[in-house]
Amino acid sequence: MGDVRPLPLGGAAVRRRRVSSVRCLDGALDAVINPYLLYVGLALGGLGVCMALPRRRVSPQVLGAVLAGLGLGVVLLGLGLRSERLPNYNFYIFSAIALGAALRVITHPRPVYAALYFILTILASCGLYLVLAAEFMAFALVIIYAGAILITYLFVIMLATQAPSEGELEALAEYDAEARSPVAATVASFVLLAALTTMLFGGAGDLRPRDGAGLDAPIEMMPQRAERSLHEEGLIAAGDEVVGVDAAAWTATLRSGEVVALPASARLTNVERIGHDLLAEHPGSIEIAGVILLMAMLGATVLSRRQVELEDDAKRRQSERLAAAGTVFADREANP
Amino acid sequence: MSVSLSLAQASLPAPMDGVTLAHYLVVSAAMFAIGLVGFLTRRNLIIMFLCTELMFQAAGIALIAFSRFHLHMTGQTFVIFVLTVAAAEAALALALVVLLYRRKDSLSAEEWAEMKG
Repeated sequence: MGDVRPLPLGGAAVRRRRVSSVRCLDGALDAVINPYLLYVGLALGGLGVCMALPRRRVSPQVLGAVLAGLGLGVVLLGLGLRSERLPNYNFYIFSAIALGAALRVITHPRPVYAALYFILTILASCGLYLVLAAEFMAFALVIIYAGAILITYLFVIMLATQAPSEGELEALAEYDAEARSPVAATVASFVLLAALTTMLFGGAGDLRPRDGAGLDAPIEMMPQRAERSLHEEGLIAAGDEVVGVDAAAWTATLRSGEVVALPASARLTNVERIGHDLLAEHPGSIEIAGVILLMAMLGATVLSRRQVELEDDAKRRQSERLAAAGTVFADREANP
Repeated sequence: MSVSLSLAQASLPAPMDGVTLAHYLVVSAAMFAIGLVGFLTRRNLIIMFLCTELMFQAAGIALIAFSRFHLHMTGQTFVIFVLTVAAAEAALALALVVLLYRRKDSLSAEEWAEMKG
């Protein structure tokens, strides 16, 4: 019989994990933001969002938006107090536009305007992407989201919304004018937000910044790319070529045996980096994305081709609506 | 300190500290929470799906912020897949919404309350 050891998943490991989660709750979180400021800000934001949701009677939307903005301001102020280097001021502009438009998406009673405000959210997030130096994804977002997906949404909204037959208020469908259990939904969401930010900030406080040395490593696999920028800068003789690149030392070895320093223009661009990462690190994933899109297209075609019968209830409602619209039309014809 | 300067950072990225990352994470988390509130409270099927797109967008901002913080491209590559899933979801969800609308002549989610059993 060999000696029986206790399982490694015993007390010590569990205790260590508990200690680290406690440290995450006060130590690391406090390094990023004062917890009281965070929770006061989130409570203000939740109150504001709850007030801004559409209601049948009085809906204090402006007051709600001001409160929600105040909550965001308190959280950002709390973050700024602990930071030596504030983010680019564009961050504050774009995030205020993005979150304000997002609030308007969920509070605007008219679906078409909600979709248009969603486009504004997308454009503001593109601004955030640019501040984060992700140009390719920013422009892809404008083309795909604002250009394609949202246009589809707008078409469906226009197809499926009844034309206003009488005054402004009657044109609003009953299900758009009033939110469903706003208090419970807001409380649930903002408790989730508080848990999420506590966890994320605890983690972010522990992370150490890195330098960008690894970003240009793929150029070691692209000697022709290095050769092209050397030719453009005139640093290489006409018949010579690059046989090896050292990204860490930022030099290239030529066929003639000479070692030359690479120019700044040899740094990879954002698109080159994304392309390399996509095809070298995640091979096959682009095919999967293509198959997903193809299946979605086929599925959408099959689904929307189906003929459906109106149910009795819906038939009655439709005929009532058509009759009402007909009366209005007849009235307009009689006394223009 | 303008957009063009931060575009220039793409070639020579400076390190970013954890508190700056937290700024982006709070925007992302707040956008996710707003999307969740919208999904739970709105009763129009199309707006409910619009709110899920809002949550996708929040995930995208977090991915890009982490990509910038770690100076690693995989975060940006994953946004391509977020876009793919969002496009596929929009196509299928909108086809379903059109189908449901044709059957009940209404976009209200409560028309389908009998499906909860």
